[in-house]
Amino acid sequence: MPDKLDKIIESKKLLLPILTEIQDRDGYISEDNVRQLSKKTKIPLSEIYGVATFYSFLTTKPEGRNIIHICNSPSCYVNGSLNIIEFIEKELGIKSGQTTEDKLFTLHIGSCIGCCDKAPAMLLNGEVHDKLTEKKIKGIIKKCRS
Amino acid sequence: MQITLNGNKVECEKGKTILEIAQDNDIRIPTLCWQEDFHPEARCRICLVEVNGKLMPSCSTKIQKDMQIETETEKVKKTRRMNLELMMADHLKSCFIDTSNHELCRIVAEEGIKNIRFEPKKQHGKDTSGRAVVRDPNKCISCGRCVQACRDTQNITAIDFAYRGHKSKVTPYFEKDLHKTYCIKCGQCILSCPVEAIVEQDHTEQVIKHLADPKKHVVVQTAPAIRASLGEEFGNKPGTLVKGRMVAAAKALGFDRVFDTNLGADLTIIEEANELIDRVKNNSPLPMFTSCCPGWIKYVEHFRHDLIPHLSTCKSPHEMLGVLVKTYYAEKQGINPEDIIVVSIMPCTAKKFESAREELGNDVDYVLTTREFAKLIKLKNIDFNQLDEQDFDDPLGISTGAAALFGATGGVMEAALRTAYETATGKSLAKLEFDQVRGTEAIKNGSIHINNIEVKFGVAHGMMNACELLESYKDYHFIEIMACPGGCIGGGGQPIPTTWEIKKKRIEAIYNEDAGLSLRKSHENPVLKKIYEEFLGDIGGTKAHKLLHTGYVEREL
Amino acid sequence: MQILEKSGLEAWKKAKEMKPEKVISLLNKKGLAGRGGACFPAGTKWEFALNSESDKKYVICNADEGEPGTFKDKYIIINNPETLVEGILIACNTIGAKHAYIYLRREYRYLEKNLTKIIKKIIKKADTDIQIDIVLGAGAYICGEETAIIRSIEGRRGQPYYKPPFPAVEGLFGKPTIINNVETLANVPLAIIKDDWNPNLRLFSLSGNLKNPGIYEMPLGTSLKELIALGKPEKSIKAIYFGCAGGCIPFNQEWKIDPEFINSTGCMLGSCTMIAVDESQSIVDIVTIIAKFFEYESCGKCTPCREGSMRILSLLEKISLGYANMDDIKLLEELCCVIRDSSLCGLGQSSTMHILTALKNFREEFEEKCRLR
Repeated sequence: MPDKLDKIIESKKLLLPILTEIQDRDGYISEDNVRQLSKKTKIPLSEIYGVATFYSFLTTKPEGRNIIHICNSPSCYVNGSLNIIEFIEKELGIKSGQTTEDKLFTLHIGSCIGCCDKAPAMLLNGEVHDKLTEKKIKGIIKKCRS
Repeated sequence: MQITLNGNKVECEKGKTILEIAQDNDIRIPTLCWQEDFHPEARCRICLVEVNGKLMPSCSTKIQKDMQIETETEKVKKTRRMNLELMMADHLKSCFIDTSNHELCRIVAEEGIKNIRFEPKKQHGKDTSGRAVVRDPNKCISCGRCVQACRDTQNITAIDFAYRGHKSKVTPYFEKDLHKTYCIKCGQCILSCPVEAIVEQDHTEQVIKHLADPKKHVVVQTAPAIRASLGEEFGNKPGTLVKGRMVAAAKALGFDRVFDTNLGADLTIIEEANELIDRVKNNSPLPMFTSCCPGWIKYVEHFRHDLIPHLSTCKSPHEMLGVLVKTYYAEKQGINPEDIIVVSIMPCTAKKFESAREELGNDVDYVLTTREFAKLIKLKNIDFNQLDEQDFDDPLGISTGAAALFGATGGVMEAALRTAYETATGKSLAKLEFDQVRGTEAIKNGSIHINNIEVKFGVAHGMMNACELLESYKDYHFIEIMACPGGCIGGGGQPIPTTWEIKKKRIEAIYNEDAGLSLRKSHENPVLKKIYEEFLGDIGGTKAHKLLHTGYVEREL
Repeated sequence: MQILEKSGLEAWKKAKEMKPEKVISLLNKKGLAGRGGACFPAGTKWEFALNSESDKKYVICNADEGEPGTFKDKYIIINNPETLVEGILIACNTIGAKHAYIYLRREYRYLEKNLTKIIKKIIKKADTDIQIDIVLGAGAYICGEETAIIRSIEGRRGQPYYKPPFPAVEGLFGKPTIINNVETLANVPLAIIKDDWNPNLRLFSLSGNLKNPGIYEMPLGTSLKELIALGKPEKSIKAIYFGCAGGCIPFNQEWKIDPEFINSTGCMLGSCTMIAVDESQSIVDIVTIIAKFFEYESCGKCTPCREGSMRILSLLEKISLGYANMDDIKLLEELCCVIRDSSLCGLGQSSTMHILTALKNFREEFEEKCRLR
């Protein structure tokens, strides 16, 4: 593991891309990784922690296998995002920031994802799903579960 | 350059900030996140003034020609009050406003704010388990001064901001308790904090309890830096030496004996000078680093395992005195050491951590900071300024000028050089003052010939400066490092405020104390000569080693 | 559309032959204004950086399009990335930078792969040693602010800092840096090469209660009626929001969309984002949704934005649930003004514009909620 971290540091150089890479690889940024990173880069542990907790796409706790970022900005809101959010919450049994017990889903209700012309929209593992309806959501969730 | 300040034309120097100009002209602008010698971050928005009709932070706005500056318009006042209200909403719940005298509460009182229109909302967990430094994040107003102190003066960054928005808070990594981290406990964050959100662990209650217990023989000792700063807590001018009143106050509080840590300092010098000569003779690891600063020690244990063999093995002065109290003194007085409680009054929060170190046993039971000691005196309603001066108690109350120097940066070096030179060469120094190690420059150095060897010495204070010196540490034979800027007179346990102006006055007082004493070399301390004869045996001998020296551990990050 | 025209490196070749000062004066003569929202002349920004002496300089392309309702930069990155990359190369060459960063918002990660390919292709074709790296954001609206973007690329918390020093003098890693929006940089080659390049054409991001939302290129000064008609509203439109930070106006058909006029209504046109809101919507609810956004995205550095955004949200929730009284509206208004007047950065300062303009234009909706009590 530490050798791999060396490689990431060497190829990414800047702290934010390094953290993004770790997030992608592990699904979160663990204390152990921050410790190793601090030793290798000489950036203080608490500073790295401050950076890792600042951004909404970085997490310091493990998340589910499928990560949903659903938009609740005005464009999506006036096109019924609230109903969609309520529907997803009910289907998954979790609220924003939570992970399902089977570790399959993590839900984030967040800021605009730039798909305002196809509202309401969300990102599932970084991919856009737009013009959301309850039927579409059902299909997406079913696909992830199978 | 000319500007208009509150309607008056003012001539001012280019490059200055609006705040500086206002201070020069005795115009009050309240500040919270601003602190001397740091880059202003303009976070708190309390120092806003109106510049040509627009609100600007005076701490970080440089003056420009023909600026029209107003510091007390309706808009300024209204904005400032709202921002103070926003800070107070959460702070108030955890703050005893009647007994608090910190910056935020003072400003709120000055502004005449009586009513806070917002309910408290923050529910952060407290971090109170540490022996030295504890935190209440609910009091914190996110001014960032502690973070600046920890990062920019100390180069540690044990704490930093995490999260964002109103969820943001100052915390150690992964929200650990501070004492489980690489924090060196220097307490510079405490000196910076304007709201008492980060303070020392309070041990006054335990001490009061022991004082009230007739079965306990409670001994107090005071560090070299206390006599030069304690007076400030009672309205004395910075730099007032209050040794006699300090001793009298301790007696009035009911301590059974009042001893002087300075005697411990003399003992440290005798042992440390001997260790240095030994290391030079026997090719042991050089340079040797001083070991009396527990913040510095903890730094090495976390960050520089390679330097552990370079640390002097001497215990710090109050620990040396503590062990003498519980062995030599107890034996002499026929008191069971277990009935003795040793309390050290220290300018330092790291000493609280040090006294709990396993290697050091129970030689010192409690450490109180200068502030806690003042609090005790105030609690007992002792009129400090009216006290008659008194002397330290026998037998551990006699010390030399060399020991007095311990409170200032370079002091330990100077004291050690006086003794090392004279004991190694058998000659007397023509001039006792080592000007190379005096003063407040970041890094000081010099050299002295001892028996044809040119001994090179270096001194640094403040961990940022220390880290700089460490880059070339191999050039030296002997290095003194104090974690706090200015040395112990600038310690994290000292009265607030502790500014450079005040620190310089305290240093002056310390040099005056040394100059005014007839005994100015540690090895000439008559009490210690007797104690070596009667009890310790040889300097650096087996018994001395067992009682007066210690070891260090490698700590993880 | 003008923005989809290609230069095919003709502009790069032309600019390379010109003195940097000439490129800058050409851009100023053509009237290229920044498209990130502040409308600062691009050439002037470049000039500051050109005149700052340094061993290293940087160009940052701001692709952190975080303003809700805005998706024009995404449109450009998808539809004309070649011209964007060419614009970045011209910027580098003009100010003397050897290294550029594209700060791409994390939400647009799916654009990274193709953009990387295009960068490689264009650099090879242009035969230059200029390096362009994509730095992926990690989800923070504030990183669209130019000083915050600098901190973020440096690997620190993406919090703005007080200017001066301006980035063109002391920016990324302490070196002179220019930060330009995607649309600005994509227009650079076109402004240099096309004689009939029109500085007034803007990309409008239309969304909200519209049947045909999307990106429309129109000149500044177009009437509101004409613009909104492009999006084909189905119900009657009540209000237009200029994103979250720009404030809102009632749908007055005759009003002309140009920055100065919009400013006079207490709003900001910003990056030409327009969210149409129809009569079935409650302004109080929309204001609350936007307040939630600012509370979530406040960086937390300065007091008014950090504490105030949270207090504002509480007040609005109280109003929206019908628990508030007129004093709460007064407190809300006072708080909004303090945040506007005393926040550290532009984003904090503009974070209450939507409430102040809603209170100005739709006050009765707020008061009605209070009267329910």
